[in-house]
Amino acid sequence: MVLRISAVATAVVLGLAGVRNVQAFLNEAISFALEAATPYVEEGFEVREDNWSGEVESGKPLLVKHQLFRGNEYWFWAACSYPDTEVKVDIFDLMGMPVSLETFSKDGKAGARVLPQSTDTYLIRVTVSRVKKKKGNSEEAAPEEGEQLDWGLTYGYR
Amino acid sequence: MARTGLAKSILGAATAALLLAQGTSFAQDKNDEGAEEAPQRLDLANFPGQVVEKVVVPIPAEVFAVLDKVDEPDWNDGIQHPDEDHPSKERAFLALRFGSLVAEGFIAVQAKSEDDIQKIGRKALVLSESLGLADAVRPHSQSIIESSSKGDWKKVRDELDGTQQTVRDTMSKLRDEELANLVSLGGWLRGTNVLTDFISVSFSEDKAELLHQPGLIAHFREVMTKLEDPSRSSKGMKSLVTGLARLEATLEESDKISRESVNELQSITKLMLEEFYFAKPEPKEKETSTE
Repeated sequence: MVLRISAVATAVVLGLAGVRNVQAFLNEAISFALEAATPYVEEGFEVREDNWSGEVESGKPLLVKHQLFRGNEYWFWAACSYPDTEVKVDIFDLMGMPVSLETFSKDGKAGARVLPQSTDTYLIRVTVSRVKKKKGNSEEAAPEEGEQLDWGLTYGYR
Repeated sequence: MARTGLAKSILGAATAALLLAQGTSFAQDKNDEGAEEAPQRLDLANFPGQVVEKVVVPIPAEVFAVLDKVDEPDWNDGIQHPDEDHPSKERAFLALRFGSLVAEGFIAVQAKSEDDIQKIGRKALVLSESLGLADAVRPHSQSIIESSSKGDWKKVRDELDGTQQTVRDTMSKLRDEELANLVSLGGWLRGTNVLTDFISVSFSEDKAELLHQPGLIAHFREVMTKLEDPSRSSKGMKSLVTGLARLEATLEESDKISRESVNELQSITKLMLEEFYFAKPEPKEKETSTE
């Protein structure tokens, strides 16, 4: 229920910003990633309609290959719609060298910025992990092994 | 001499360390909350997770944005509307043409040509009717036309991206992944072709580097291997398969893309687009001797 409300709220916020129409909010993880993108849209980043999403085992990293152009600035934003999760995004060149200029990770959302030094394919690593699991009001339990979590990744350029 | 070399090495290492430190500091300054430690080098040979198969093809506007930063191209010169009477009417070619038409829209947006954008918006709707997707495309087409009349170019770009995505999604839902990929190929080809037009006019290595997209060419070659009959065996598709192989070979010739390579890429992409978008040139009549 909380997720639904949040997704609707995101739709309203982005709709007001003229970013997306409601049709785009079929995937909750993507809608959360777009929520993370909102402040950057105001800074002139154009967010793509196409994106990546799916399910992944908690803690297992994913690697997305993507073409970037030198001369553009990019932000990649990722999110998970489940509560109590940590999401991380990092960007690497094809040699495996980290190239992110700045990153953030907070409340199940994450982002990474890059100014590509060459026009080429880059690797975006996304990790989604369950950090704690609430049982009752305050008790915490360890994350279940092999738990599947949803994830969504989108990007913007300027 | 050796000492000078050593000194340079030390200086280089120190500079690199300083730059690295500044970069780290910058990252931390920008992110008081939720900032991350710099990650280690990625061990690609022993990556513990999974590689995502899906390829998101950049829209032409992404690369056009760079060209606008390094040059002042006259985008009006780049606009070429599709041949209305093109003989290829199969769905696969219509999907390719749809992708190219959307790319044409991105060129018209760069040119801020309201008239051209409106024509493209209407043509996209007509083409979507042939593909049986008019209901999905109509709202985008209307928004493109309305936004261009207001001069809201960002909104037009968003709608063009949305149009292509809607068509791809609808095709995917109909289990027609083949057509969805061909929409992307059509868009990428037209975008690349106009890029070669501009770069060949005022060549620089920096601009030519924008054409370095081996991952995307490999992706499209893979797409073509998955085509099924009758598309697979058509003469036009075989020509596209050959064209992609030639593009890949041209880019693999050297690390830096030369002026000659740009001209070659321009020629190849034009030939490929003639299979479904541009008018094919009339075959030259054989000269007959009167003597």
